[in-house]
Amino acid sequence: MRSQKENLATIFACMAAGSVTAAVCGEPPGDAQEETVESESRFPDVPMPLRLEGFPQRPKPILELGEPFLGTGTLDPGFEIPGGAVLQPSLMLFGSYRMALQTFDDGRETFSEWVHRLDLFMNAQFSGTERLLVGIRPLDEDGDFTGYFFEPDDGDPSRGEWNASLTTLFFEGDLGEMLPDLDRSDFKSNDIGISVGRQPIFFQEGMLINDTIDAVGLVRNTLLPKNGSNLRLTFLYGWDNIHRDDNLEDNSAQLFGVFTEADFPKSTIALDVVYIYDVDDASSGLYWGLSGVQRIGYLNTSLRILGSYAKDDETPEVSNGHLLFGEVSWTPHHTHDVAYVNGFWGIDQFSSAARGPSEGGPLGRTGILFAAVGLGRYGAALGNRADDSVGAAIGYQMFLDEKRKQLVFEFGGRTSTEISDETILALGGRYQQAIGQHIILRFDGFGSWREEGDEGWGARVELQFKF
Amino acid sequence: MTRRRTIRKVHALRRKSGISIVLTTMLIAVIAIIIDGLDRQIPLTNQSLIVPVAYVQDPPPTTPPQQETPPQQETPPKKEKEEEDLLLEKDEDDLLFDDVEEAEDKADPATMDQESVDRAHEKVFLEVRFPSATTCRDCHPKHYREWSVSQHAYAQMSPIFNAMHGTILKLTNGTNGDFCIRCHTPVGMNLGEPEFMSNIDRHPTSREGVTCIVCHRVSKAYGKVSGRLAIAEGDILQPVYGPTGNEELTRVLANLSKYRVVTDPDQPGRKIHTEARKFFQINQSGFCGTCHDVTLVNGFRLEEAFSEYKNSPAAKRGVTCQDCHMATQPGVDSEYEEGPAGFVGGVPTMPRKLTNHYFAGPDYPIIHPGIFPHNSAAIVEESQKDDPTAEGLATIREWLTFDYRAGWGTDEFEDNVPEDYEFPERWQSIDDRYDAREIVEDNLELLEWGAEQRLAILKVGYRLGEIETVQSDPQRIRFKIEVRNGTDGHGVPTGFDAERLVWLQVTVTDRNGEVVMVSGDLDPNGDVRDLHSLYVHNGELPLDKQLFSLQSKFITRNLRGGEREQVLAVNYSLDPLPFLRPETRSSVLLGRPGGARKHKQGLAPLASRWATYTVDGSALNGQGPYTVNIKLIAAMIPINLLSEIMLVGFDYNMTPRELADGIREGHLVLWERNKSIDVHVNGS
Repeated sequence: MRSQKENLATIFACMAAGSVTAAVCGEPPGDAQEETVESESRFPDVPMPLRLEGFPQRPKPILELGEPFLGTGTLDPGFEIPGGAVLQPSLMLFGSYRMALQTFDDGRETFSEWVHRLDLFMNAQFSGTERLLVGIRPLDEDGDFTGYFFEPDDGDPSRGEWNASLTTLFFEGDLGEMLPDLDRSDFKSNDIGISVGRQPIFFQEGMLINDTIDAVGLVRNTLLPKNGSNLRLTFLYGWDNIHRDDNLEDNSAQLFGVFTEADFPKSTIALDVVYIYDVDDASSGLYWGLSGVQRIGYLNTSLRILGSYAKDDETPEVSNGHLLFGEVSWTPHHTHDVAYVNGFWGIDQFSSAARGPSEGGPLGRTGILFAAVGLGRYGAALGNRADDSVGAAIGYQMFLDEKRKQLVFEFGGRTSTEISDETILALGGRYQQAIGQHIILRFDGFGSWREEGDEGWGARVELQFKF
Repeated sequence: MTRRRTIRKVHALRRKSGISIVLTTMLIAVIAIIIDGLDRQIPLTNQSLIVPVAYVQDPPPTTPPQQETPPQQETPPKKEKEEEDLLLEKDEDDLLFDDVEEAEDKADPATMDQESVDRAHEKVFLEVRFPSATTCRDCHPKHYREWSVSQHAYAQMSPIFNAMHGTILKLTNGTNGDFCIRCHTPVGMNLGEPEFMSNIDRHPTSREGVTCIVCHRVSKAYGKVSGRLAIAEGDILQPVYGPTGNEELTRVLANLSKYRVVTDPDQPGRKIHTEARKFFQINQSGFCGTCHDVTLVNGFRLEEAFSEYKNSPAAKRGVTCQDCHMATQPGVDSEYEEGPAGFVGGVPTMPRKLTNHYFAGPDYPIIHPGIFPHNSAAIVEESQKDDPTAEGLATIREWLTFDYRAGWGTDEFEDNVPEDYEFPERWQSIDDRYDAREIVEDNLELLEWGAEQRLAILKVGYRLGEIETVQSDPQRIRFKIEVRNGTDGHGVPTGFDAERLVWLQVTVTDRNGEVVMVSGDLDPNGDVRDLHSLYVHNGELPLDKQLFSLQSKFITRNLRGGEREQVLAVNYSLDPLPFLRPETRSSVLLGRPGGARKHKQGLAPLASRWATYTVDGSALNGQGPYTVNIKLIAAMIPINLLSEIMLVGFDYNMTPRELADGIREGHLVLWERNKSIDVHVNGS
């Protein structure tokens, strides 16, 4: 096998030459029936004994009641309830704790801080398909985090955002499984998924909706269209806790959505339509998104087009516009790495149907330079709003040490299609590695250059503990 | 000046922040390493995994499944059965003590304490909780014979499953727990065996995979639980669950002397279950759905066979899974056999509907035929190999050294074997080699029967339709081939469809037999030339851009750059510590977790799809007419899976190439057809 260094050299040589297809990068033609002598691709004919020593064992959640979560041993026979369902209840606590020391300068202001975030979930599992999930984030609220803030000097540097607000509380299940006595022979297609409560909603990679709202959804999945392989239909009604495109809660908004996704032989197509009804009739809007995700030869591609229309006048909550978003990636020969080129074009003022208070804009998937880290005030180097702008990122993600370490380099930029001197370029990187069974150590850094204004930069180190 | 001073201060502050970051980083790293140290697990050793076995087995039936012959009457009960009964009664007979002593011997004396001894005793005690299939075989030889070579019986024995499960476990840092293996060896998981270890060292009933009691000791309709259903515990005397109830058993139990069985645990003799409870769901599709609809705890829909069925025309017609998969014709809603379900003490029970327990499907065994199909005459446990009363011929480790391919134990080989030929110690005796050959031949016969069943069911599911020429001129030849799903019960492939490879191999030759175009050909490893062929991945062979395959694909979401195909659906791009926990979003709304999904590419029930092929004019040599040879081929898995799972090693000391060759040998050509295409010039 080639060394990582050689691989990297090859990759950058290819990228520098502007060739994105692996075929251009030295792929020889060959006869599939002929064995290449001493090929590295040939499976070895030597025994590979089981590697049992030091094999990871199940890391227990911090609390589990009832059956151990995916643990060995006998299983609880459970009990039957009226309607015929058999319940085998269990409960567990899990989540993650993140802590970071970071400094971020967007060219206008510098933030240096030591911040914390705790995502704590309780999963009450009733059966194979039914569960209740409760989540809290006791160390942050509405975008403010518990921590020590070095700068800017806003008074007391130490701040606590302790709270017990429920960020997630929903039940999900399968109606057919909840009432099996309605069809004991299982001849009817009554597998209707249901999800109700305060729940994160995420469609079109978060560009159409990325919010936690009070909603009820009904789903039909594993439908079998004759010219496809699978079809999912989701109907959603949201009645409260809806945040609009300005990331602010709109108490008068209701959400109606139909979301579809179908697998065809070459592609996965998703078509989603959402209508936000403002009971005050001031900011109702129609939103839609269409995407195609497929592999073409060696290339992974996805293309999305989204639109938003204000029913009446444009407001901070809803505006007219479109967003074109494309992603291309490939895995260079001899590696499991990912090289990628992503780009967007925001036409007018595209607005998402719903965006949570800490979700920023819709462009985070463009690159790591376009996304905030979700912890403290370390924001996106290049911003993530889509209004009248065009931008792109090119990057490379390299995996090391049996994929337990990874290195990401990225170069990106964006410019306004309406205002001159709004170009900004950035170069950034990320290194992260797993330590043991619970910990990730991560470093991020970037530097940015603005056509008009000061340079920006950022650096951070984060420790994440999963449990 | 003021601004410069401010900038200098900012830079100074930044430098301080930088120092702080470095110091904090070091502190964090130290903390992390300490915590990492706390996380480190005690290494597993084979010694700690050996389960003491006190286990007596009967000779195998000698007839293939289709030649149903009742076993000979046995009087009086055999000595071995008495010993087994003693075990079931938890007495401390010699066998039991031998095993405990052996377990003690294998343990580290420095750490062997009373607790360890108690644990060893506990393990022996556990054996009576889950009777082996060989116990059931005494009265149900037909069912046993069918099951013994089935995919259910092979589920845990498969070295590919073992490595795949181990790899997923390793990549998910142990968080996948017993998820995969809970279905593959429910008994092993109930016994608390480690999730990943050699099958050689598992309890023999654990190796039986989906054994009799996994279905016939289930008393509740659990629904779609991805195989996490409770098995009622107890020795052979405890009730079993079946489709017909207790009537026939009551008649048998009223004539204990005629049937030569006993129901008193203290009485020596052949024991029998004292009750056959009717379980309404065991002959309904929902029962199959408890395992054959697999959704991970994070909402990843791994297998959807049952969900597909529920939306199928077959379900609407009132046809169950069992009607097609347990009847006389594999894959067809056909008649059930009639006959006695049991031979109790050699006496047949009253005729009734019989079901086929082979469950034909796409998998095939690729391990030594001495250790699979299950054959109680073959294997003796390591702990019993010095016990002259133990029935099996050799341990698994010894079997793996028996070179059946070289012809050991055949007259042809033995009559010509050179004197200096070196046999392993266990096989020095020619008598043992002949005995082993007899077992191997019996097992190979069963495997051949299984292969016929497999071919039959796959031919029902996959059909070749029309072949049409779209264009044939000097610029190019274009033709298309129709592939159909022949069943209305589910898609094809179904179940573990992301690792089921079914494809078209299309070869175009000129009139001299020269190949002018080929698609669906294999690389030297035996893979089709898709993105995961190592030869394609490493740039040694070109991608087969015209490949027609029905294999679904695991898709993972990259940190950036959309989604990509992966052989295993463990997403290590988003962060380097994949950690399986319940999804924190609703998994039903999106139908998948955030980081991975499956791109289904199979055919819906009764659906068809056209594969289109082009032979470019530059490849045409004017030597027409051209012959298109078309093969629709099925493999249980793509061979490239091996490259992803070799990370944790393979059981039975097998090499990756051995496994690849085994998979390749099992490729089945379901349909083959030829078509001649002439090239027309200027409308000629």
